[in-house]
Amino acid sequence: MASNPGSREADVSVTINGTQVTYRVPARLLLSDFIRDVVGLTGTHVGCEHGYCGACTVIVDGDAIRSCSTLAVQVDGSAIRTVEDLADDGELTPMQQAFHENHAMQCGFCTAGFLMTLESVDPDDYREPEQVVELLSGNLCRCTGYQNIVKAVCSAWGVEGHKGT
Amino acid sequence: MKPAAFDYYRPTTIGDAIEALGSSEVSKVLAGGQSLIPSMNFRLSLPELLVDIRDVDGLDKLEADPEGVTIGASVTQSRVMAYEGAADIVPGLRSALRFVGHLQIRNRGTVCGSLAHADPAAELPALAIATGATIEIRGPAGVRTVGAGDFFLGPFWTDLGHGEIVTGVHFPAQPSGGVTVVDEIARRSGDFAIAGLAAVFEIRGGAVGAARPVSFGVSGVAGRMAAAEEAIRGFDPGNDGSDLYAAAYEDAADAVDDVHANAEYRREALGALLVRAARSAVGSNGDRTGV
Repeated sequence: MASNPGSREADVSVTINGTQVTYRVPARLLLSDFIRDVVGLTGTHVGCEHGYCGACTVIVDGDAIRSCSTLAVQVDGSAIRTVEDLADDGELTPMQQAFHENHAMQCGFCTAGFLMTLESVDPDDYREPEQVVELLSGNLCRCTGYQNIVKAVCSAWGVEGHKGT
Repeated sequence: MKPAAFDYYRPTTIGDAIEALGSSEVSKVLAGGQSLIPSMNFRLSLPELLVDIRDVDGLDKLEADPEGVTIGASVTQSRVMAYEGAADIVPGLRSALRFVGHLQIRNRGTVCGSLAHADPAAELPALAIATGATIEIRGPAGVRTVGAGDFFLGPFWTDLGHGEIVTGVHFPAQPSGGVTVVDEIARRSGDFAIAGLAAVFEIRGGAVGAARPVSFGVSGVAGRMAAAEEAIRGFDPGNDGSDLYAAAYEDAADAVDDVHANAEYRREALGALLVRAARSAVGSNGDRTGV
């Protein structure tokens, strides 16, 4: 049998929120742990760690993904955006402002994941409240704050007809 | 809860990928990783070597022509969903993919990865069987193709041998006069199905001429429904569905009991799904509206 060509470590070079970084990391390091523990950006939260809850959602090359179900080595060469990129000048984005105004959170643990899912899509594709609900179905909020979250999104995107309280 | 240590290799040619897979007894292909990595996080899966195929030349092909849609091993589910050409030729692809996980999972998960993983509750294996898809495999002995009907052997068990890779899948075009239905019952949006159905119907004169219904999430492997294939011939909008329901119930004799639903529930759910799908199929092409 030929020798195994793999290695336990690999270099990961990514742009994260506009800054180019390179680290040598264990191949088994999850992207969520890379972002939090290696790069030091702790706005991305780790919930279930098996791709179910959506708390760890970040944007990689324009697409929302689960950073707990992705290895850091898999996104070598990519551009990553995390929640810290949204208000990097200290001013809330319109969606963050809408979350604030509609009290679209209780404990806030899931909020970064919701915001990054929302940031990744084109609002023109979501013109009905049901479409907004479907979009958010991959993010869990255990404080059951869904009504206010949907309300905030509909408010920010000008979606009419939401029946929530 | 983190993956156990493993070796990682990212080749650029299919030959290097196959050679690497053969270099360890416990090697796995890494495409999107949306089933594999959660399973490694739980340490249910303990590979020694992961061969990441994202940079392998030629696996990112996504093509549609009048004959069908061909999808390479590194093509994500989101890319297929967004591809208008695929939706026209094989409408079942979009119908099935909307049930697969959530947006964030489809953005990384691949169509071929779902086939190779062969989760008994997954939609794509059932669609592949229902449409008569062909799976292309490469390994140490070269290239071979396997019909989807012969590929899925059991829960997470396929015809793939050690060192082999699913390099692509070809879904044939929906026949003219055909209707494809994919439907399922799940507790929550994006969850695995408690019972699911993928079916291709040929409609003749407002009735079902023939159909190939395939169940998923019901037993240990997606599979054709022999009794239902017989019972469904001639199904028209006036049919009360009772014979078809009974046939689907019979086909699901090996339904599984688990925490989500008992076997009896799954058998009844499959019958209901098939009757609903047949009514929708004859309603959408027939001259009378389905009841």
